[in-house]
Amino acid sequence: MTQTTALRAGTAVALTGLHKRYGEVPAVDGVDLVISPGEVVALLGPNGAGKSTTIDMLLGLTTPDSGEVTVFGQTAREAVVDGVVGAMLQNGSLLEDATVAETVGLVAALHRRPLPVAEALRRADVADLANRRCTKLSGGQKQRVRFALALVCDPDLLVLDEPTVAMDVETRRQFWHGMREFTDLGRTVLFATHYLHEAQEFADRVVLMRAGRVVADGSVAEVRATVSGRTLRAVVPGATAAALRTLPGVREVELRADRAALACTDSDLALRALLVAFPTTHDIEVNAVGLEDAFLALTAEEDE
Amino acid sequence: MNARFVGLELLRAVRNARYLIFSIMLPAVLFVLFVNIYDAKDQVFPNGLAVTTSLMLNMAVFGLMSGPLATGARIAVERGSGWQRQLQLTPMSSSGYVLAKGALGMVVALPGILLVSLVGGLFEDVRLSALQWAGVLGALWLATLPFVLLGIVIGLLATADGMQAVTGVLSMLFGLLGGIWIPVEVAPGWLADVMRVMPTYWAKELATAPVVPGVAVGQAVLVLLAWVLVLGVVAARRFRTDTARV
Repeated sequence: MTQTTALRAGTAVALTGLHKRYGEVPAVDGVDLVISPGEVVALLGPNGAGKSTTIDMLLGLTTPDSGEVTVFGQTAREAVVDGVVGAMLQNGSLLEDATVAETVGLVAALHRRPLPVAEALRRADVADLANRRCTKLSGGQKQRVRFALALVCDPDLLVLDEPTVAMDVETRRQFWHGMREFTDLGRTVLFATHYLHEAQEFADRVVLMRAGRVVADGSVAEVRATVSGRTLRAVVPGATAAALRTLPGVREVELRADRAALACTDSDLALRALLVAFPTTHDIEVNAVGLEDAFLALTAEEDE
Repeated sequence: MNARFVGLELLRAVRNARYLIFSIMLPAVLFVLFVNIYDAKDQVFPNGLAVTTSLMLNMAVFGLMSGPLATGARIAVERGSGWQRQLQLTPMSSSGYVLAKGALGMVVALPGILLVSLVGGLFEDVRLSALQWAGVLGALWLATLPFVLLGIVIGLLATADGMQAVTGVLSMLFGLLGGIWIPVEVAPGWLADVMRVMPTYWAKELATAPVVPGVAVGQAVLVLLAWVLVLGVVAARRFRTDTARV
């Protein structure tokens, strides 16, 4: 146990019943999430899943319509004021008329117990860019400067909203290398991403969001197991939802008239059992849908 | 408020070349130009105010506007680009941000005022006692406050794209309607009435007070204060709704 985690025992982040709607559109629709100190958590989901809104509420940038946010036992704003939480925002801009060191220095000047600016730059691997104007940086360099901005308050919790979006493969590797240095100190990280492999490689735990809700939460292996399921659709005369639910390999049942939709962990097993129990079953379709669709969307975006 | 933060902000403002040219050089250049066009040296208004001194004060008021308006309006850029969100992740409160921008506005108004005064004193035969200089400069600086707030209001209301046009039009209007370009004495009656509610007009009046007798100092202070109050309330309300939405 490192000193940081020992000091920060208890809960790093607790989100309880978070709701937020913009007009008629629910952006976050009932999110519960508890993160322990020292965890590295990936918040995974397609665009519009509610990741950014959740993060904004966690940071106190957006007030939830209902629900509660605590960060190390404090309110979101208290945690920010205390310098306990540092964040890299998705569209966080840099100043056009300042150098990297000045920009980080501005933010450092506002915090109560900041790191020395040079140290923050070193940890974000931008020490060599200290005197460069922010307008003269590549996309990846800008992201690393934003990382320095997040680090300069010496936080226990780091929140990153799609940190590697503008980076090429090599820069991305270096970025996560710098992140390791941070997490090796036992500190907590929550990062949003739509790169599945990034979540697999760097997170202890994956929280999958879709349409404003958490649809899967667990270790990478656990979430993969959930995701590998299929949906079995068929017309099953005389079936009841209760009976269908008892079939092996079936996780969830949806029944309208005689049309059944079974979310399966093992669709082969479920299909065999279904045909035995209900021999008149017809119009059978087995599709990769649901969570896997979400993941397919995610992985498809990686190819761009 | 945070002195180091304001210092670094100031560094950014100083670095902005357009700001240096327009807000410091232009009023001084125009001042010299006007003195020559009007052949103003040795001429005196009926109230005893030398024409060169009057022109100097007009251009100083013009100069004190542009700096604070430009810096205030940059809030629009910081709102649009997401930098303000970054700052919301620091202990600085929303009001602290506005206060820092206000302090910055007060500071960036100074070079314009000082340069015009320096040109007046050194090259254009503006003869004032040390006490009068102190009074004039102090009055000009105090009269900057409504324009600092105006800049902040623009920054909170305008978009990053629109703010340059808005500051340009407003500083033109405030100059024109405030008797900076057309003296109140030659303006038609309705325009003279408009001028007497403008902060630009009273900024100049206040700065004239240490030089010649008979200036309505009380009224000048009251009108300027009214502008400070109204703009302050607008800025405060606007800022609250702006941050609540984010």
